[in-house]
Amino acid sequence: MKILVPIKRVADPDNANKVKVSADGSRVTSEGLEQKVNPFDEYAVEAALRLTENGATQSREGEVVVCSVGPKDVAQTIRGALAMGAERGILVDGADDAMDANVIAAVLEKLYAQEKPDLVVLGKQQVDGDSNQVGQILAERLGLPQATFANSIELADGGKACVVGREVDGGVLRVKVGLPAVITVDLRIVGSKAIANGITPATHAYPDAPRYASLKGIMSAKKKPIAEHTIASLGVTEAPRIEYLKFELPPKRAAGVKVESVQELVEKLHSQAKVI
Amino acid sequence: MIEWSEQHLAIRDMVRRFVEAEITPRLEELEHGDTPPYEVLRKLFRTFGIDEMARARFAAIEARGDAPRAERDAEHGESGDALAMRLIPVIEISRYSPGMITALGVSAGLTAGAIMSRGTLRQKKTWGLPLTTLEKIGAWAITEPGSGSDAFGAMKATARSDGEGGYVLNGSKTFITNGPYADTIVFICKLDEGDSVPAESRKVVSFILDRGTPGLTQTKPLRKMGLHASPTGELFLEDVRVGKDRLVGETEDVPARAAAKETFSAERTGVAAMALGIVEQCLRLSVDYANNRVQFGRPIGEFQLIQLKLAKMEVARMNIQNLVFRQIEMASAGKAMALAEASACKLYCAQSAMEVCLEAVQLFGGNGYMAEYQVEQLCRDAKVLQIYGGTDEIQISQIARQLLGRG
Repeated sequence: MKILVPIKRVADPDNANKVKVSADGSRVTSEGLEQKVNPFDEYAVEAALRLTENGATQSREGEVVVCSVGPKDVAQTIRGALAMGAERGILVDGADDAMDANVIAAVLEKLYAQEKPDLVVLGKQQVDGDSNQVGQILAERLGLPQATFANSIELADGGKACVVGREVDGGVLRVKVGLPAVITVDLRIVGSKAIANGITPATHAYPDAPRYASLKGIMSAKKKPIAEHTIASLGVTEAPRIEYLKFELPPKRAAGVKVESVQELVEKLHSQAKVI
Repeated sequence: MIEWSEQHLAIRDMVRRFVEAEITPRLEELEHGDTPPYEVLRKLFRTFGIDEMARARFAAIEARGDAPRAERDAEHGESGDALAMRLIPVIEISRYSPGMITALGVSAGLTAGAIMSRGTLRQKKTWGLPLTTLEKIGAWAITEPGSGSDAFGAMKATARSDGEGGYVLNGSKTFITNGPYADTIVFICKLDEGDSVPAESRKVVSFILDRGTPGLTQTKPLRKMGLHASPTGELFLEDVRVGKDRLVGETEDVPARAAAKETFSAERTGVAAMALGIVEQCLRLSVDYANNRVQFGRPIGEFQLIQLKLAKMEVARMNIQNLVFRQIEMASAGKAMALAEASACKLYCAQSAMEVCLEAVQLFGGNGYMAEYQVEQLCRDAKVLQIYGGTDEIQISQIARQLLGRG
């Protein structure tokens, strides 16, 4: 089985409070913040690796190709996924501000045509823009079945289909999609038993988290190939359809006040807060 | 080497993630409870495949057969990348628990190294390999109540021939890292051949002992100033009988004094990386505190006396980091640090780490004296860097001897 996993780097989500809006409000700046792989994309890499290996013996039983669109230094993000165990990388050079979900989906459509994977596995959304669109638009453009927000993936029909679980209010929705297909994954896809590929023994329990790259993995990632393209060289002519007009931070909350007595509190709740 | 490579940083980030997930949440029990550090360390080895790499390295040694020593040395020389891979976890874990690194270094580094460098192939396979994978925990026993810096001169522990090809071992050892829990102990002693040779001139030999050997007592952990994540104990040997298969190298003519000195040198390189971790953490915590702690209506970082402390810490951090880089660069060039340089490096790193820790406690004021703020622990832990692996005074005398041409 061959799986294509698109990933993106984002400003360190653990320091999201340090993201600033530029003085003219035209863009968000994350200068000085470390760039890390989008957490949901890391879950996608983990899911793809689990689908293509024997978890008990750690032997690889398929191929995972990781791709990213962005400036040259996203190569580092790709290397991170190669260190986890993915086989190859593809870097598509493009400026961050010349992209929206539609452009990315158009790029991925071209890569899909080149690679012909059995599955495209993506994070359900980026934690910076939170638009949650790429997987869905890609499936539409390719005319492939899609299963979104996956919390479990089980290979079925001798590898010709997947049964994908998705948490909904009050239970789990299970959909069966024929391959090839597009799947977007949620946090629980890295649960210890979330993936069943028919190769890893059912008794095998993974840790409830994406794997750590081993030292050997990090060393060997240096030697794994990363092919380079540009948006133009792939023949993508789409332009962004979304225009950002203005960014602003939420208004600062006014400081609270201390009250002297219950009477004053009741009075203020009534006259100022107007809640009683 | 002027900075960490992209690959080094990838390793650092992975180890940081491990430390945040596995060590910091349990730091309290590791540092102040009775939880030995070994399970967390084993998980570290499994997670990053360090145990697998050790097995692969050993398989290569085994396939080649036991090469003569000179050839072995050339092959065993660690590459710069391999050294960096070993030091990065040391730096990162030392930010939180220098004790864990001490326990790890003594087991997988010193004890395993003593067997791997001078043992026979069979000894390496039986006792060395399980130490390098952390399957077994090791202790390296040289210090005695009456012999510390004067390790060989005042050593009282003895090995006597039992007349049947084996030996009878006696003696007591103290300050033995991992002593209370060790499965495998390298015991260093003098060969008592029953003649009139004065004790100072007797041959030094070392033996490999298993936990539970009759006549061997491993005490409970001793109480100490810091380094609480590293269990330290005493060993008592009373007529412990062993076969020649336990004698490291299986010959009395192994240069055990030279081997012990090599072990001391290895210990010294680790100290620079530990000092770097400690200093980096003190600096990070101090900068954060200086920015957030408000006195007299402004962050204390605005006061010049605080700025001076931070600037001095940064100077120390840069210097220590450069010494770590130099070690890596030398390994890449296939060179080893001369003893006097290794001594100077250890002396500087240990003293600077101690100074930085004391300044950090001072910067934190009352909070710095409280266990809740981590600088208190690092300050207690850092002191040992000036004592173990050769005291500051021993390093100074080695530097001076070389300068004065008396080396």
